[in-house]
Amino acid sequence: MYGIFMECFVALKLYGGNGVLLLMFVAAALFITFCEKDIKKKIVLGILPLVILVGFLFPVTKIVYVALFDDGSDTYYRILWLIPMYIVIGYGACKALMGIKREAVRRGIFALMVLVIAVTGSFVYANQYMSVAENLYHIPQNIIDICDVIAPDEGEPRVRAAFPSELVHFVRQYNTNILMPYGREMVVTQWDYYNAVYEVMEKPEVIDAKALLEATRQTKCHYIVLSDSRKINGNLSEMGLTVVENMHGYTIYSDPEVQ
Amino acid sequence: MISIVGEVVKLIFWLFCAPFLIGVLFNFILPKEKKSLGVTFLLGVLIYLACFEVIAIYCMTTIMYSAFAYCVKYFLILAWILIALGIARAFYALYVKKDRSLIFNTEALGELKKQAKLETKIYWLIFFALVIFQLVMALVMASFDGDDAYYVVESLLAQQADVMNTILPYTGNSTSLDIRHALAVITMWIGFIAKVSGVHATIVSHSVIPLLFIPLVYLVYVEIGKALLKSRQDMVPVFMIIVSFLMMFGNVSHYTPATFFLMRTWQGKAMVGNLVFPLIFWIFLEMYGSVRGSNNEEPASVDKTAAKRGYLWIMLALVNMLSGMCSAMGVIFGTGLIALLTLLLLVFSRNFKVIIGAALSVVPNLVYLALYFSIWTSGM
Repeated sequence: MYGIFMECFVALKLYGGNGVLLLMFVAAALFITFCEKDIKKKIVLGILPLVILVGFLFPVTKIVYVALFDDGSDTYYRILWLIPMYIVIGYGACKALMGIKREAVRRGIFALMVLVIAVTGSFVYANQYMSVAENLYHIPQNIIDICDVIAPDEGEPRVRAAFPSELVHFVRQYNTNILMPYGREMVVTQWDYYNAVYEVMEKPEVIDAKALLEATRQTKCHYIVLSDSRKINGNLSEMGLTVVENMHGYTIYSDPEVQ
Repeated sequence: MISIVGEVVKLIFWLFCAPFLIGVLFNFILPKEKKSLGVTFLLGVLIYLACFEVIAIYCMTTIMYSAFAYCVKYFLILAWILIALGIARAFYALYVKKDRSLIFNTEALGELKKQAKLETKIYWLIFFALVIFQLVMALVMASFDGDDAYYVVESLLAQQADVMNTILPYTGNSTSLDIRHALAVITMWIGFIAKVSGVHATIVSHSVIPLLFIPLVYLVYVEIGKALLKSRQDMVPVFMIIVSFLMMFGNVSHYTPATFFLMRTWQGKAMVGNLVFPLIFWIFLEMYGSVRGSNNEEPASVDKTAAKRGYLWIMLALVNMLSGMCSAMGVIFGTGLIALLTLLLLVFSRNFKVIIGAALSVVPNLVYLALYFSIWTSGM
């Protein structure tokens, strides 16, 4: 039980990041619990959120949750979404401000509160996974350019292309007429699937050209897109493939043997 | 250029005008003080999405080929009927009866405007500036999330291949109905918006949907603020500024609702955490507020206030439908949350009828789960 409790505690710590958000929430909930006169608000925004938080840390909750959901261990933190954290902090802050009689002091404290949230928090737009959009699709422009080269015209049959793993997330977000021998399911390491093309294209440091060709032909890949930075122990052009184009550091090969 | 303007007009119509007009049609269920533009729009969005959910699940589970094309066709018919009736109701109220109060209560807003101090107005301006900043950032900043390779592609497959969850998004191979995600038809609704507007579904997901859902979430928080700060409405913009700062600076980990809200706005789970759960809280705050004794100025009898809560139970049922549309997780979590909050309502009101209201409002959740398990066990 202690082990499960620690797992819950670690999940809470991971959720809270630097912990200031959780601290603000607990402080606001306690403040509402002790200072709010309206019994309903006291219970709903003070006591209940704290009870849910304690319930989250209670090992039996996690045991039941994991038994109910397939991916229970990964998504247990979502129980914390049931806590109206932003409402509690917002209302607690307003309640505290309403208790300040002098307007100038109240304004100053309000500005300070907002400053504390900004300084101790993490600006969402500065996240490492955020970047300036290159287009309205919000996918890298190089993917769009590569896909435009290999995508079939209207009315033509769909094509299958093997892409390096760093591109697979985006290809079909742009054009579903491009099929792939493997996609995102191979990139998520914990899912641990097997795919013949992925095995020869992505796993080895030096790609075995013959094995790659064999795998892509078995899966009927019309195109192979290879990063110029990848090492390969043969020349695909000499093995019957045609270089369609080289762009953005990737070479697009087409395989005339695959119809 | 003309085609771009046309696409923008269609997007505005199907994202804002259509739900609003549907809200106008049905806002007779709202009490006078709640017939604001915001609550009417909220009600319209809930009904609009609930109608889509029913049609989408029906088409997905019964039609083998081109299911999405049928889904679009059937929903368009229903939506146009509701929109036409909404226009007719507005026309009747404004031009036949010449009584705007039949559809909107603008008195309260007018009075608030008159009473508002300069300081309050400045706070509102700051809040609106923060929302506009977030909308601009939603357009100009791109976030990477691996799950998009699934959800966004599902929407695009609906638009480009007329299928409903029967092609593997990752590779493009055919598959049986993926029940784990299939009933969460929010991806299909995004596909619908893409189809009727002619805009690529990935653009709709990443660049357009946030323009609807970010203001919608804040609208819910405004209503929460109004419910909590009944006697101090001047504090509502202060509450909203704090909430919007918590959202913008809430990326303390990958798991917070704020992170999901601004980085994965278009995904069902982001909507569950940021729209559905706050909506449930708002509805219950309204119910708690309507119970005698919450406020010294409210002497209404228990029975009267119970009757006034009817529209809230209807809205709660619609929120539950939205929850299922977003994520199966939302259905289970939402039911648990409703049970907890109903228990408190029962304690506060000492009126056993609330159990009936709560039970009826979770009927969509029970139907959803029954469908989920029946498809799961049949291996469709």
